[in-house]
Amino acid sequence: MVKVAIYPPNSLILADLIERKGHTPLVLQKQIRQKIKDPEIDSPPMNITEEDPIKGLKYAAIEVPSGVRGRMSIIGPLIDDAEAAIIVDGAPFGFGCIGCARTNELSIFLLRNRDIPVLELNYPTNQDETYVMVNEINEFIDSLEETGEE
Amino acid sequence: MSENLCPKVNMGNEDWDPDVITRMIILGPGARVSESEIVGEFHMLGLPLTIKNTCYGSMISGKKDDVLKAIEEIRKLDPPHIFTKERGFAPGDPRRCRGHRFGPREGFHQMEKEYTILGYVAEALENPKEVTVEEKKPVKVDDFKEIMNDYIEKNNL
Amino acid sequence: MVKIALVSCGTEYSGIQKEIEKAANKFGAEIILPEIDLDYIDEAYEKFGFSAQSSSLKLMIARAMAIVEGKSKPDAVFIATCFRCAEAALVRNEVRRFIQNNTRIPVVTYSFTERTKADELFIRMEALATTVTRRSILAREKQEGLTLGLDSGSTTTKAVLMENNQVIGTGWTSTKDIIESAQTAAAEAFSQTDYGWDDVDGIGTTGYGRFTMGQEFKAELIQEELSVNAKGAVYLADCQKGEATVLDIGGMDNKVITVNNGIPDNFTMGGICAGASGRFLDMTSRRLDVDITELGPLAVQGDWRKAMLNSYCIVFGIQDLVTTLAAGGSKADVAAAACHSVSEQVYEQQLQEIDIREPLIQVGGTSLISGLVEAVSETLGGIEVIVPEYSQHIGAVGAALLVSGMGYRQDDK
Repeated sequence: MVKVAIYPPNSLILADLIERKGHTPLVLQKQIRQKIKDPEIDSPPMNITEEDPIKGLKYAAIEVPSGVRGRMSIIGPLIDDAEAAIIVDGAPFGFGCIGCARTNELSIFLLRNRDIPVLELNYPTNQDETYVMVNEINEFIDSLEETGEE
Repeated sequence: MSENLCPKVNMGNEDWDPDVITRMIILGPGARVSESEIVGEFHMLGLPLTIKNTCYGSMISGKKDDVLKAIEEIRKLDPPHIFTKERGFAPGDPRRCRGHRFGPREGFHQMEKEYTILGYVAEALENPKEVTVEEKKPVKVDDFKEIMNDYIEKNNL
Repeated sequence: MVKIALVSCGTEYSGIQKEIEKAANKFGAEIILPEIDLDYIDEAYEKFGFSAQSSSLKLMIARAMAIVEGKSKPDAVFIATCFRCAEAALVRNEVRRFIQNNTRIPVVTYSFTERTKADELFIRMEALATTVTRRSILAREKQEGLTLGLDSGSTTTKAVLMENNQVIGTGWTSTKDIIESAQTAAAEAFSQTDYGWDDVDGIGTTGYGRFTMGQEFKAELIQEELSVNAKGAVYLADCQKGEATVLDIGGMDNKVITVNNGIPDNFTMGGICAGASGRFLDMTSRRLDVDITELGPLAVQGDWRKAMLNSYCIVFGIQDLVTTLAAGGSKADVAAAACHSVSEQVYEQQLQEIDIREPLIQVGGTSLISGLVEAVSETLGGIEVIVPEYSQHIGAVGAALLVSGMGYRQDDK
């Protein structure tokens, strides 16, 4: 079983395709769950406090806006855990954790620099392109298994 | 005083348990099962789960192992059309519930967009085939010149 | 209840959402998020025409559009984005202008960090809530009757007596006991006229001591200094319509307020560096052995480039000036260098946080130091700086203006 980071990190399609093949998608929602289920913190809605942008300093300097560092404190650990990554360019983005273009640029850069297998794709705009995406993802995941078995 | 952004959280013990997870089950277009059949099937499994019917499919919540087992079973009903996604917040958590918050959830719009190609994904999963897509390239300078000159000539510019 | 729409990016991830809500609730307001659907977001974003890469900024634009188009009907709007984000700063200002140009809904903007706390937001939320509930008061452009304005600041207390749209008496004293100081300042103002406490129609109070004074003198208007100073400045400078920036370099802290049609919409307050305050100039004049009132004209004659100054700091900077004097430098050049230093440090510390709009109205005691006014204009690329008459009494003038029409003390007699 390989831990695969995905970008966007909350993509339904990417997470689902990885899980179908028996691997673990590293998704944002798990990170969020950890935070919001901590009854010790009272900072709704996300339970993010002043401490989180400070934790984000591991990924971005103090001159970087607090919103980027706060987001990195959630996304960063997923990048650290990744054993492989699938990055989709031009995917529709939600507005929360991944609503900040600067955070997304930094996250993708860090994934590319992790020295792990990375698959980069374009988000499909029609049926044929969707076929290409699904095929490439499946092939990529199969190739991970082969490397894992060696 | 009303707290719309930061509502007080009043959840049960189970919802605070970090081992309790929530999954959304989304039915792609052309699914051979209905939302209510899915919910019925979840109930039939007899696992200790909280099951909720939603506009896009359903939402289940429970111990991680039970949830994953249930999903494995439910996928069997219609493998290519049943998709699943993690959800950070428990069902009805006031911190994310639209009813409490005036505004929509941040992730909702993205799911709406991804849903629009879910039919194609299901199709690709059900009937795998090799497809090549021609990569779009910028027009050649000579071609561009020709078109331009053509246009100038035709319009007496 | 006053409904304040939150149009923002990054508040949740900076951990300050709760602080925003707390600040709004304190002033009887509630925060709402304008509800919109996905199609509308795309449509609104296209219509607005700013190509933002961050989708949360697109959402911000769409929420602003929903307010302008009346899909969401808040009483006020709070626009906030992360400090130091260029993309967000551009969107924040354009969205602000868009709402102000197309609606009469009051707006306050803010750029925050993870350290932003409710206390810093209080004055902004109070100003927003006031603008909503007291719009008719803020709309006042002319003073009528006989009114007294009292401004109790942290260092000085000012009093202004106005009659028929004219300032007829002013008073100024350093703040000790709030009530006693106010009485001293008011007595000075009254002494320039034939009037006394019993003759006024109404009293308005502002500044840190506004509640204490308000209670003691049964003031008809007790108002935070943001609205009052902004109003006083545009009134005195005759800029009641359109945009302006009000700059007050104080003895201990500085205020910068941006104003749209007489109503404040952003504000920064600094108070962490003495080198960015009037205190620096006070120390310079003592070193030069000139009265503070002579420092300005002296500085205008000098050239700051001729005095070596390696630090903005009130300790090291002043030391440099002393060294320049010892080496035979002229007093005028040193005075100019001191003014230039304060102006640059104010720019570094504060003016960069806010979108400066012309004209800049400089107020407060330091606005009387002509060399500093000149330096501020130069630091900001030669922009127009207006120093209106009575600029040192700005808060008291604002309070006297705003309370007019609210007091009926003479009717009871």
